[in-house]
Amino acid sequence: MTSYAFRLAIQSILHEKWINLLSMITIAVCFLIMAITALSVYNIDLATKTLPEKFSMMIYLKDNLSSEDSKNIINIVKKDTAIETVRFIPKDEAMKELKSFLKNTEYVLEGLDENPLPDSIEIKLKKEAVGPDSVKKLSERLKEIKGVSEVEYVEKFLSSLYSVKVGFKTLGMIFIIIISVGIIFVCYSTVKILFYRRNKEIETYKLLGATKGFIRAPFIIEGSVIGFSGGLLSLIGIVSLYYTIILRLSLTIPLFKSIIFPAHIALFLPLAGVTLGITGAAIAIGRLKY
Amino acid sequence: MIQFQSVSKHYDTHTALRNITFSVDKGEMLFVTGPSGSGKTTLLKLIYVAEKHDEGTISIAGWELDKLKESSIPLIRRNIGFVFQDFRLLNNRNVFENVALALRIRGVGEKELKTHVFDSLKTVNLRHKSDSYPDELSGGEQQRVAIARAIVTEPTVILADEPTGNIDPDLSAGIIRLFKDINTKGATILIATHNRELFRNSGKRVLKLDNGNLVGDEKG
Repeated sequence: MTSYAFRLAIQSILHEKWINLLSMITIAVCFLIMAITALSVYNIDLATKTLPEKFSMMIYLKDNLSSEDSKNIINIVKKDTAIETVRFIPKDEAMKELKSFLKNTEYVLEGLDENPLPDSIEIKLKKEAVGPDSVKKLSERLKEIKGVSEVEYVEKFLSSLYSVKVGFKTLGMIFIIIISVGIIFVCYSTVKILFYRRNKEIETYKLLGATKGFIRAPFIIEGSVIGFSGGLLSLIGIVSLYYTIILRLSLTIPLFKSIIFPAHIALFLPLAGVTLGITGAAIAIGRLKY
Repeated sequence: MIQFQSVSKHYDTHTALRNITFSVDKGEMLFVTGPSGSGKTTLLKLIYVAEKHDEGTISIAGWELDKLKESSIPLIRRNIGFVFQDFRLLNNRNVFENVALALRIRGVGEKELKTHVFDSLKTVNLRHKSDSYPDELSGGEQQRVAIARAIVTEPTVILADEPTGNIDPDLSAGIIRLFKDINTKGATILIATHNRELFRNSGKRVLKLDNGNLVGDEKG
């Protein structure tokens, strides 16, 4: 029965080639838009994931603290579970770093009799602790330590970056769901048209004692082939797009170099096509009655 | 084989069959006749469960139709061969495939299928037309293909609804002869027709319907 169902499905696809081709192209375009969205979300997500490794906070200590007091503060900071590494920067070392940073504009520091920089502690956080809320809470905890004058970090950048990440993810998901529904609808419409065109044939099947499975199978196969082909076309499209446009652009625009193509996700496209195609076809056939 | 006990079928505006009682023995061949609208087609539809009766009981080859689940309908239809006035052949498939369809539905393997299809086409004398498409055949030939499809599964019951309605009157006798030959091999055959010439002097039983009532049950 299965081989016969496949034969009927392939015959029907070839017989109704234009309507099927149009559906495949429509699905491919939908999948391509979906893939570009997923690629953007994936890269934004990847970029924000590398942030914790680079993110640091500075704790400035009050003037005139004894080395014993500084050690105490370092010990308290080290005990905080959110903190990965702690580096004490004495005011003299801070001045050296500033001078090396200023290089040719070092003259701005001329005339200073005293080193105005305070002792400071640079801390790096554990990956899971880098987030707008957790960093804010940590900053408040650190400020309460006796001897700490100020805690600095790029608060606005951090919160906006996370908002962008969450926003993109949410919008991406909504967009992907909408496009998935669109693909199901395309498969549904195609199979529905084919189903109506073969209505007389289906009635004959029923009279000859065909089971619902026998009647449904060719349409389900047809839906899955249309979905698979659409997914495969979009896979070819997204790979071509990446290698011809993005890789070429990255030669002149360095930002494009950081765009990563997730091959394992792209391979998912034909599989998603099969799933959505089967769903659309199953809805189109609906409940068969004898 | 077939039993109708006080069967009635109502539609919104009229009653198609009223209190019908009859039974058909295994291997019997009979005609159901009456004018247009007398209920012949409805009676056949009740047998192959295209319609459900409203009153009474129907039993086909041991199946009680009152207690029949929807999933069992294909099984009961596999015991029945159909021949319709409009042939109901698939124009996009050749004669062989049209006849083979009934076997494919039953999951018969290719080798066995070929033997049965060619045997069946031989019975209706159309073995040489197996590669032709229905629209390349005459009305009589198309009806013989439909008969070949009906008998290829060796059903216990064959139903024919106006089988000569769309063919040349000269060929009608040949079609009926064919049914008689098939009947001699043991199939129970019910032929619905309004053409009296088909059963006159046939020696077969004739059920007469008029306005949904069974008004006669006699030898033709």
